[in-house]
Amino acid sequence: MRCDYSCRSDDHVLSRRGFLGGLAGLGLASGFGSFVNPSAAAAMAKGQKQMLVIWLAGGSSQLETWDPKPKTETGGPFRAIDTSVPGIQICELLPQTARHMHRMALVRGVNTHENDHGKGQYLMHTGRAQAPGAEFPHLGSLAARFLAKGTEPLPGYIHITPGGGGVGGKEAAYLGPKYGALYLGNGAPPANTARAGSTTPASDASRHDLRRHMNDRFANRRRTAETEAYTTTYEQALQLMERREVFDVTREPAREQERYGSHDFGRHCLLARRLLESDATFVQVTHSNYDTHNENFAFHLEQLGEFDQGFSTLLDDLAQRGRLDSTLVVVMSEFGRTPTINYLYGRDHWGTAWSIALAGCGIKGGTVVGKTNAKGTEVVDRQVGAGHLFHTYLKAVGLDPKDDYEVDGRSVQIADPTASPITELLA
Amino acid sequence: MRDQHRAAWLLCVIAALFAGRSAAADTPLHERIDRAIEAGRDGRLAAPATDGEFVRRVHLDLTGMIPTATEARAFLDDPSPYKREKLIDRLLDSPEFARRMQVVFDVMLMERRPATHVPATEWEGFLLDAFSENRPLDQVAREILSADGADPAHRGPARFALDREGDPNLMTRDVGRLFLGRDMQCAQCHDHVLYDDYKQAHYYGLFAFFNRSYLVQDAKGIATLGEKAEGDVTFKSVFKKKITNTTGPRVLYAEPVAEPAVAKGQEYWVAPAEKVRAVPRYSRRAQLAKSVVSAKVPEFNRNLANRLWAIMMGRGIVHPLDLHTAENPPSHPELLEMLARELAAMGFDGRKFLRELALTRTYARSSEPPPGLSPEDGSPARFAVAVLKPLSPEQFSWSVMQATGIVAATRAAVERTLFTVDPKLTQLMQLDDKRRRFGRRLVESAVYDGLKGNSGPFIAQFGRAAGQSQDAQDASVHQALFLSNGQPVLSWLDGLAGRLATIADASAMVDELYLSVLTRRPMPDEREEAIKYLAAKPSAKAQAVHELAWALLTSTEFRFNH
Repeated sequence: MRCDYSCRSDDHVLSRRGFLGGLAGLGLASGFGSFVNPSAAAAMAKGQKQMLVIWLAGGSSQLETWDPKPKTETGGPFRAIDTSVPGIQICELLPQTARHMHRMALVRGVNTHENDHGKGQYLMHTGRAQAPGAEFPHLGSLAARFLAKGTEPLPGYIHITPGGGGVGGKEAAYLGPKYGALYLGNGAPPANTARAGSTTPASDASRHDLRRHMNDRFANRRRTAETEAYTTTYEQALQLMERREVFDVTREPAREQERYGSHDFGRHCLLARRLLESDATFVQVTHSNYDTHNENFAFHLEQLGEFDQGFSTLLDDLAQRGRLDSTLVVVMSEFGRTPTINYLYGRDHWGTAWSIALAGCGIKGGTVVGKTNAKGTEVVDRQVGAGHLFHTYLKAVGLDPKDDYEVDGRSVQIADPTASPITELLA
Repeated sequence: MRDQHRAAWLLCVIAALFAGRSAAADTPLHERIDRAIEAGRDGRLAAPATDGEFVRRVHLDLTGMIPTATEARAFLDDPSPYKREKLIDRLLDSPEFARRMQVVFDVMLMERRPATHVPATEWEGFLLDAFSENRPLDQVAREILSADGADPAHRGPARFALDREGDPNLMTRDVGRLFLGRDMQCAQCHDHVLYDDYKQAHYYGLFAFFNRSYLVQDAKGIATLGEKAEGDVTFKSVFKKKITNTTGPRVLYAEPVAEPAVAKGQEYWVAPAEKVRAVPRYSRRAQLAKSVVSAKVPEFNRNLANRLWAIMMGRGIVHPLDLHTAENPPSHPELLEMLARELAAMGFDGRKFLRELALTRTYARSSEPPPGLSPEDGSPARFAVAVLKPLSPEQFSWSVMQATGIVAATRAAVERTLFTVDPKLTQLMQLDDKRRRFGRRLVESAVYDGLKGNSGPFIAQFGRAAGQSQDAQDASVHQALFLSNGQPVLSWLDGLAGRLATIADASAMVDELYLSVLTRRPMPDEREEAIKYLAAKPSAKAQAVHELAWALLTSTEFRFNH
């Protein structure tokens, strides 16, 4: 279904509500209500860093979120409210999120010079402008490659989308498709993780034994990195099949599901928590759709209501379970929205002066970096671009953005060499 | 006296010349290749591949899939000492060879980009025709590089440029990589920091062939390349911003293209306008094919020879294939020069060239390192041990279909339909070699068209992202899940297991299974184990065969061309 308020580019042909309410009637199936996942402590002990990206697709409005300008001609109808940090105010559409401001940092001086959906997505995912003939890996792919140990049962880059699922690859660019995204369409588990009806567990076990036996014979003298990688994938597949229930949020008690909200985004946030608790390295949740060319305020009211509940609950849980210290959380879009309100009460694409929010691992809570002018039409202090943000994310999780990566004998710096991290944000 | 001396001297010269000539002429290329590879190895080389390994390898490399059990058995049981050479010649002459080359060159040149402006079938048809008639490869390259899509009957080769949107930077990069073996992307903004011979001037010299061209769509949406008559290329290094350089079209170290002066007002045959393809009197793009495919550009021949070598040997003499530079020298420099020279000398006859490679001892070596071989001696760049080649997504899907009998069943169905329509027609088709060949091509096309859709999920699982080099492959958990639980493979295996389960004699059945999937007979202990496995599940024979077959199909031995 198309969002009738969007700019009608192909990016928005996603169903928001296809699965709505499918969970309401389900009882609590399991004892998964007991919380602390023993591996959380283990992960922290290892110093394992994780990442969570909330992607507000279509371009959320900075004015209705992180950088309100109430009582100005560009400000719109909503008020600014106090947060848990004195002196920092955000839009009143985010009352629950406001409670977390001491854990969060805001970057209010983002200028990406980009007003195109596709190019903005590329830019914010890779920290580099799109250029023909050159492809760079997504943040998620870099995390999968450099943060993951490779022994985790879950794929390194998992993206929960409102729409289609499947296996990506392109996101990883030169890192290779292994580090590409696994898309969980509307939160559904990945394909082929259920044993085919015709295969009994016993038969599955015995065919795998035969396979291992075959491989041992072949590998006796011809063991290479490639043959090892191939045989390992089958063991990973078995592990993933065994943990398939991690994708099933209905195993959570009803009250947990209620806390996150009876909407897709809430369910996807709960799924994100389950994945992070199972040591997934990088989880992205897309909330769609913020491309509000008309009725910007009505749609932000509705969308941000979902966002505020799901996101703040997730932050609560990550913090309470001790995960937030080792999990970098980023809330971003492809761009912000124009301060000017158009004649349809909409706001249009705007990469010139907008905001993103961060929390968790390596981030100094209660920080605001950058400033826009009174009407929000330009950045007046500490202007940063996507490259700076990208450097900051990497630095926060302990990766060196200036590291070179060898691609077939060629060196590529993992983050744009012309940018640098926003050190004020880093704890 | 003096005359006598002169005569003797002349005789010597003639004799020397003759001897020199005959040494080259008498020693076939494949032998000279082997000498170059084996020089200084002192026998630190892998043993020859077994017949089973060889027949599987050569089928995969020349036809894109493993042989059937019947073909494998016939080859293994053939006592002729010339059977390998006969097999190579038979395969090179088959329609499957042209198809394999179509797929290889499609993947190499288009890198799985979506077909936007030219239907994939037109481009594939162009490649298939070229390889079916064994068109010289330099000519094929010229056709691709000069195509602008304007001739509606020959839009196939234009896919290279049009489905890159005619983008000058992308064209520069990919013509550099794929036709000259140099990825000069990093020289776009400055001379390459790591490779002294990758100059910014090289990048923009190539760029100047493309910068006046642009993609234009007519009223019906048909895309072609138009070209303006003006537009000069200037560039600055990001390190030396004060110096502005200019360049005309030029390929690497060759002389710049001499450009004619065109009188003012006479610049165009067709002037630029909206939805109109502009045609200048002097076209820079039309110079491209002449300038790249030229005796003055040794990089072209080297790149092509290296890429053909890699198809057979699993890696380039220069590797990666698009990193020809002094900093990444060829493993065997003289061999590469010889191959480049010989390829040109044989008129860029791709089939003949691949035949020589297939006849080498180097190609026919075992992939198993001999005991005690040092890692250095066994390094893939030595070509002393055959390189393990992961099957491409297409080779993999077609081999799975071959192993499970899907290809043979489809072929039988096609032949039934084609040749039982009219017995007279069938007779006619057998009249002479030309007709028989035509018939074979017809059957191959029908089988290919009928089954190629099955490769889709394999390409999605095993291929790399569109626009990325497809030379390397990665293993991912999703591939294993697809092969473990995915429907196409499991149902094909059911078919195979059902058929094999009807063979009453367990030993004969295991033979057939191994020949079908692994192109060899089982070792005695493998046979014994399989028979025991089946005996343990007497009530579910087909199920047990399915499990055995699945294990063979998902083994590393099957996954690689070894």
